[in-house]
Amino acid sequence: MPEPKEIFVRVDRCMGCHSCELACAVEHSSSRSLYGAISETPRPKNRVYVEFVPPSNPIPLLCRHCEDAPCMHACIAGAIVRTEEGVVITRSDKCIGCWTCVMVCPYGVIGRHLEQHKAYRCDRCPDRSLPACVDACPTKALVYLTAGDFSKGVRLTASAGMLTGQGG
Amino acid sequence: MSGGTNRYVIVGAGAAGMAAAEAVRSLDKRGSVTVFSDEPDPPYFRPLIPFLISGKKRAVDMAMSGQGPYSGEGMDLKLNARIRAIDCQARAVCMEDGEKIAYDRLLIATGSRSRIPGEIEGTSIEGVFAPRTLASARAIAARVENGRHAVMLGGGLLNLKVAFALLECGLKVTLVVKSPQVLSQLMEPEDTFLIRDALNRAGLQIITGAGARRILSGSKGVSGILLEDGREISCELVCIGKGVEPNVGFDHESIQVDGGVVADNFTRCNVSDVYAAGDVAVTFDPITGGRIVTGLWTSAVEMGRCAGLNMAGRPTEYGGALGILNATQVADVAFVSMGMVHTKGRDFETHVCGSAGAYRKLVFSPDGTKLVGVLLVGDISRAGLYRSVIRERMEVSGIKSHIINHTLHYGHFIG
Repeated sequence: MPEPKEIFVRVDRCMGCHSCELACAVEHSSSRSLYGAISETPRPKNRVYVEFVPPSNPIPLLCRHCEDAPCMHACIAGAIVRTEEGVVITRSDKCIGCWTCVMVCPYGVIGRHLEQHKAYRCDRCPDRSLPACVDACPTKALVYLTAGDFSKGVRLTASAGMLTGQGG
Repeated sequence: MSGGTNRYVIVGAGAAGMAAAEAVRSLDKRGSVTVFSDEPDPPYFRPLIPFLISGKKRAVDMAMSGQGPYSGEGMDLKLNARIRAIDCQARAVCMEDGEKIAYDRLLIATGSRSRIPGEIEGTSIEGVFAPRTLASARAIAARVENGRHAVMLGGGLLNLKVAFALLECGLKVTLVVKSPQVLSQLMEPEDTFLIRDALNRAGLQIITGAGARRILSGSKGVSGILLEDGREISCELVCIGKGVEPNVGFDHESIQVDGGVVADNFTRCNVSDVYAAGDVAVTFDPITGGRIVTGLWTSAVEMGRCAGLNMAGRPTEYGGALGILNATQVADVAFVSMGMVHTKGRDFETHVCGSAGAYRKLVFSPDGTKLVGVLLVGDISRAGLYRSVIRERMEVSGIKSHIINHTLHYGHFIG
């Protein structure tokens, strides 16, 4: 199987515009349109969260689909599984809303759908080739790449910076 | 060794045993993995048994194989198989039917059973249950059909969940707890007001500060219960939820047992190639460093996985088990309780904040530098961050106000 893509966060590029949150909520609404989404009850939930670190640095947080996912192992209902693409998902039909996953997630990115009494989190937009948050990000703070491609990019940027710094 | 492949024997097919079996299999594809269960049902998610009583789930829906991280593949599962003894000299487990099974690596994951208080008379009367197994849940469900009133002895989480299942079946349910308040293991009485309110609204009758003296029987089994204060309650069903005790009833010569099978930080017992995990194991509390036996699914899985990796040859240190590590929702109120939350009369720095819909208690070490306990009621969002802070013994000075105000997010760890 080829190396799966993941959503990577380039923190230094995030402006804190919350476009990702909006796009995520719309993608996970019934209507899948902004106008439809805002009138839906219950309100569609975003699964990416832009938080701020003092003094005012924005940081998008979302499920990392951990290799050693604590939520999946802690789940007392067997509701959390890893798909073949490496995405850790909560199966709503199995979820009993005990919130054990919320209690063990080290990133704090599992939400509680109170109306449905189910846990939810980033599902990497299974119906899209590019996750909605990545698509919506105006500064490319969110990128969808394989780990190999992402780290290659980081290396190239760093070496370019070093060359510039050395007057090369 | 037999022909260069390891024979892994796992006694117990609960959370720890199954997690260990999967972990062994993930590292060692060649060795044989044999898992013994003394239950007739294939391994299942034990915390789900109240759903069998309420009828919301069938037993097949609770099976572990093929669900979550459990493939159930590559292991030889023996049901209805109880071990009689462990012979560390011969490196074999002896089954009740006399069969001896040799091991190269052994995991003791025999779990725990319901504690039945000896001071209560009549606990063996028909209609008295200690919910623990699928079999017990089936028996309760069968009894429900001819019952109108159930009395629950003990205000712990499982008993509460069974109480709700019985309410859903249309029974009147009375909870009798000896402590001044429900969930006394998970919080202090003054922490419970939101939960208590929710329980009342859900229609549960609650009698606190009262113990049972005797269970009364009639021609059809249980007919009532006599409390220590002389009150009598008529009922057709009694559920005892007074905690659990480790299953250490097997014979053994040299394995160290002290309230459970003693395991070191690498889940090893004092005898080589023997490991222990789950409810039966005595492990350590990362906050106090003291020895602890926990009866928690989440901890049992973590310990079991750790044991499995160690057994298969990858040294893996266990991070320890918090004595309290519970998340759930009772009625419509969610709560998370973890670490040190009983602070009365003790020298902790405690911050409490309550409102109409939420309550929280953050407990720091006496010098205020470490988080040691968290109780969140109502708003439990991002609770896992606090677990990391507690477990990693993190220095909290830079994030303390965020912890106290419940505004902590992951960005604070990297920002």
